[in-house]
Amino acid sequence: MSLRVRMVVLAVGLLGLAAMLVAAFRKLPGFGGSWHPYGQRAVETALGRHTSNVIASINFDQRAFDTMGEQAILFGAVLGTVVILRTTRDERRVEPEPARVPAPLRRYALAVLPVTLLTGLYVVAHGQVSPGGGFQGGVVAATALHLLYIAVDYRALQRVRSVPLFTLADAAGEAGYPLLGLGVLMTGASFLENVLPYGTLGTLSSGGTVPVLNAAIGLEVAAAVVVLLAQFLDQAIVIESEDGEQGAGSVGDGDGRRGEGGAA
Amino acid sequence: MADDLPIVLALLLVTVAGTATVLTRDPVRQVFALAGLGLALALLFAVLQAPDVALSQLAVGTALTPLMVLLSVRKVRRKARSERREEHE
Amino acid sequence: MNGWLAAACALLLVGFLPTLLAMCTGSVRRRVLAQNLATVLAALALLLLSQGWARSSYTDMALVLAVLGPVGTLIYERLLGEELRADRPSRRVTRTMTVLSVAPVPVVVVPVCVAATPGRTTLKLLFIAGLLVAGSALCTRALTTPPGGDGSHG
Repeated sequence: MSLRVRMVVLAVGLLGLAAMLVAAFRKLPGFGGSWHPYGQRAVETALGRHTSNVIASINFDQRAFDTMGEQAILFGAVLGTVVILRTTRDERRVEPEPARVPAPLRRYALAVLPVTLLTGLYVVAHGQVSPGGGFQGGVVAATALHLLYIAVDYRALQRVRSVPLFTLADAAGEAGYPLLGLGVLMTGASFLENVLPYGTLGTLSSGGTVPVLNAAIGLEVAAAVVVLLAQFLDQAIVIESEDGEQGAGSVGDGDGRRGEGGAA
Repeated sequence: MADDLPIVLALLLVTVAGTATVLTRDPVRQVFALAGLGLALALLFAVLQAPDVALSQLAVGTALTPLMVLLSVRKVRRKARSERREEHE
Repeated sequence: MNGWLAAACALLLVGFLPTLLAMCTGSVRRRVLAQNLATVLAALALLLLSQGWARSSYTDMALVLAVLGPVGTLIYERLLGEELRADRPSRRVTRTMTVLSVAPVPVVVVPVCVAATPGRTTLKLLFIAGLLVAGSALCTRALTTPPGGDGSHG
């Protein structure tokens, strides 16, 4: 195809897109209006199922199947990062050096670590009641763990952070979601249908399956972020390329096999 | 119009921070513009009554994104430093 | 539009916007200090907004920001340590930044506390205020004290 033909095809495509966008925009409801056909139905359904956070009801109940695909995206992204950032044959792992962190900074970070972890768990647990949920809380909880690296050093983080364990937790959260859906299928209802008792509106025990699915997502996201940051931290601190190390005049003894263990 | 003032303000903040992020070339300095953009976006989501999205933005943009960018910068710099040393020898 | 929303708008325009500009320009040192201040101001604006809409559950946004804001600053201090140490701000800058980031907290939180229905929300607001004051004050100090003074091996 010549350049000209290509440009013509592109122009036709762009014109078609523009026409369809204009047609779509003309029928949109006005900005900031209080009425919306979907909004009304979603809110009604959410309140009918005793979930005061309508967004959580939409994400984990009314269209829980979509969320299953969304969490698979994160899982796939982290998996890809693990593969790309693994230790390759021409790289070696070195011992991380201890770091000197000013004492007040260290004390503050260590004091704030449990607070951050608790905030993350709080956001996960209250997903069906107030804004938040598995993703938001999971990220906060995973950030809490990395305060160990900020407050002390990488060795302290490595001591409590077993990457294989977190990889397993990631997979367990990822698998837990469809397994819950299959469990629902066993009861005779359709996939991921909200079959648990709805509970009391506005309390922790409300929303039926919403908090359970939220917990699965929270586990998956927290573990995924820990695994993801482990790759970045390893690359920045532990992994060195062979030639670079020799160039620095250090113990470049050419023991290439040491680097083949993989990043995990 | 007065009711839309918070939305207009938040949009203005996003515009300023977004433009600054694009115009900054040095990755280390860009991290701060990006963090500012994250805060502005969170405020925009909040005034548009989307607290769930704002929470996601805050959770990811405040600590996680800067950490990942700065770790990448550290890796690149370390590599550049050892390569420079190699040239000197 | 009520007084709380107007106050939030004023805070965004007079406080947050200049801080945002300071974050996007100048030296790394200035950007870190501005970033610390910006998280405090954004958290306070979120508190004002949630009070303006009378949605106490929206305070969760301010809570998460109050927890993670100082963590972000500590990340910069940890990973940009060399650059920051070479360029420590003067005592006066430190004092100004500490005052700027600590003073607005009670100014905003006390009226919101008084206006909010007493109970769990009040406790949460006070908790957020405590986190903001401790976090920003300590981070500003950490960014200005010479390292290794009383540090130890990890």
